[in-house]
Amino acid sequence: MTATIAKTRAIFIRDALVTFSYPGNFALSWLGIIVEVVIAWYISKLIPPSPKFGSTGLPVEYFQFVAVNTAFVRFQSAALNSFAESIRDAQLTGTLEIVLATPTRLPTLVLSSAVWSFTYTMLQTIVYLAIAAFFGLSLSHINLVTALVFLILTVLAVSPLGVLAAALAMVIKKTGPIEWISTSTAQLFGGVYLPLTALPLALQLVGWILPITHALNGFRAAFAGVPVSGVAGDAIWLLVASAVLMPLSLWMFARAVQKARVDGTLSMY
Amino acid sequence: MTDPMLTVEHVDKSFPATQGAAGMLRSFLGNSERHQVLFDVSLSVGRGELFGLLGPNGAGKSTLLKLLATLIVPERGRMTIGGVDVLRDPIGAKRQIGLCTSDERSFYFRLTARQNLEFFGALVGLHGRQLKQRIDACIDLVDLRQDLDRRFGGFSSGMKVRLTMARALLADPKILFLDEPTRAVDPVHAEELRALIRRKLVDGEGKTVVLATNLLEEAWQLCDRVAVVNRGRIVALGPPRELDVDLHAVMRYRVTIDEIDDDLLARTRTVPGFRDLRVERTEQGVVLHVELDQLDGALAALMRAVSRDGEPTLRDFRPIEAEPVDVFRKVTDQ
Repeated sequence: MTATIAKTRAIFIRDALVTFSYPGNFALSWLGIIVEVVIAWYISKLIPPSPKFGSTGLPVEYFQFVAVNTAFVRFQSAALNSFAESIRDAQLTGTLEIVLATPTRLPTLVLSSAVWSFTYTMLQTIVYLAIAAFFGLSLSHINLVTALVFLILTVLAVSPLGVLAAALAMVIKKTGPIEWISTSTAQLFGGVYLPLTALPLALQLVGWILPITHALNGFRAAFAGVPVSGVAGDAIWLLVASAVLMPLSLWMFARAVQKARVDGTLSMY
Repeated sequence: MTDPMLTVEHVDKSFPATQGAAGMLRSFLGNSERHQVLFDVSLSVGRGELFGLLGPNGAGKSTLLKLLATLIVPERGRMTIGGVDVLRDPIGAKRQIGLCTSDERSFYFRLTARQNLEFFGALVGLHGRQLKQRIDACIDLVDLRQDLDRRFGGFSSGMKVRLTMARALLADPKILFLDEPTRAVDPVHAEELRALIRRKLVDGEGKTVVLATNLLEEAWQLCDRVAVVNRGRIVALGPPRELDVDLHAVMRYRVTIDEIDDDLLARTRTVPGFRDLRVERTEQGVVLHVELDQLDGALAALMRAVSRDGEPTLRDFRPIEAEPVDVFRKVTDQ
């Protein structure tokens, strides 16, 4: 157990050092947060308050709806990108073979590769919410327990999707299609910019299946002061999704690594 | 060999003939043509032995090392490291190995040498003071202490290779797999690396080393035994000196005579095992550089051939010892 923690810590430090080694990119990623909030605030000025943006039946500002969604949808982006990018980077830098030649178990390697990314995303989300609060996002009713529960459940539920993306990157040697598909699917069907009820019924069903839809429901409820029991259905759905998808995704990742070992393509990129 | 550190038994390995999307499609359709790179490879390496894999580029040396390091899996065969089955217990096998690949990219370019070694050291199970001590010890062995806090991206090719060696030694492994470790290293550091491998690691610490190289002199100079690999097969295996003899290496002779004529040249060319003749005229006489296969009676026949009507005109006769390159050429048909 101590060895596993030490390895996870080493991977976390490596990823943090690599991030800080690109100071320009690091600075721009924070600047981008301000731009995101300002755009959401301007668009919300054009859209009148509606009960569809909340769960209490009372009219809710569009900014309240979209700011919470865009703040937390980045956890799905982090999951989907970080695992696959970690594999892709290792292929490009030629470190994948050396890492796999160490006595480190595959789940430790793949799951640890997103710890820094989730931490960094958490910090960015806090800053995003602080800036959004300056522009009018209400934090007065927030239920921190609900937010914390959904934060944990969201990470658990979206991580398997990231591991699956990493398995695909191991085989197809590219992450571009994964990022594009995941981002657009979340934005369109996950209810990031529009409430799910605004979509046709068939698309609502697609959205209902996605973990991010239930994650965003939970976060919006947390910001409206709803306790966990008020969104228990979403919480259970995320829990079940993670329980089913996590072992499946780790199995798929192990299969992808095994295929690369059989075909001798671990070092190819 | 009573106590082998490493065994390889009847290993076959092939790769898909077509990679990428086309290969995936063929594989999906059940039509996966494969290109065989290793054929029924068997060998055994003793504890504390420095074992060489010598062969031309593409012979299968690196593939064999990657199989042992669990980075690729064979179609058939069995491999053990320290008694641990590589395929059944890869983690157990990996605990005993240090791998030095020929790929100098295998570090994080944006991190310093120290940060890289701290990362890889943690993955092999080191932490805290122990990790720091091992980094200090290994970095001194490869003479990179003053560059420890420089970014890896700024290293020269030779420095990258030396850092690869330091990384392979971090876990103090029982067996080292070294894939062309002196490639791209300047002559002085190459000699230091060879001394490190032979004197310190093998003779001093009793480590087992499998060294893949295409440098004949390196294999001949360093290794206790050498397996010559060609087109996926081991075509010769033994101590370098025995390989010279066992493989009937080409023998070279330098024969100085007074004069030469067509009859003498014709007689020389019909000597059993004749391979090549080059004539050089010098102030001391005519020098014949003759190459013969090492066959019974060949030398006597050559002596007769360079005599005129039973009267030797011989001034000087010197055998020239077989070079490793002759062995290599012979067994690899190059």
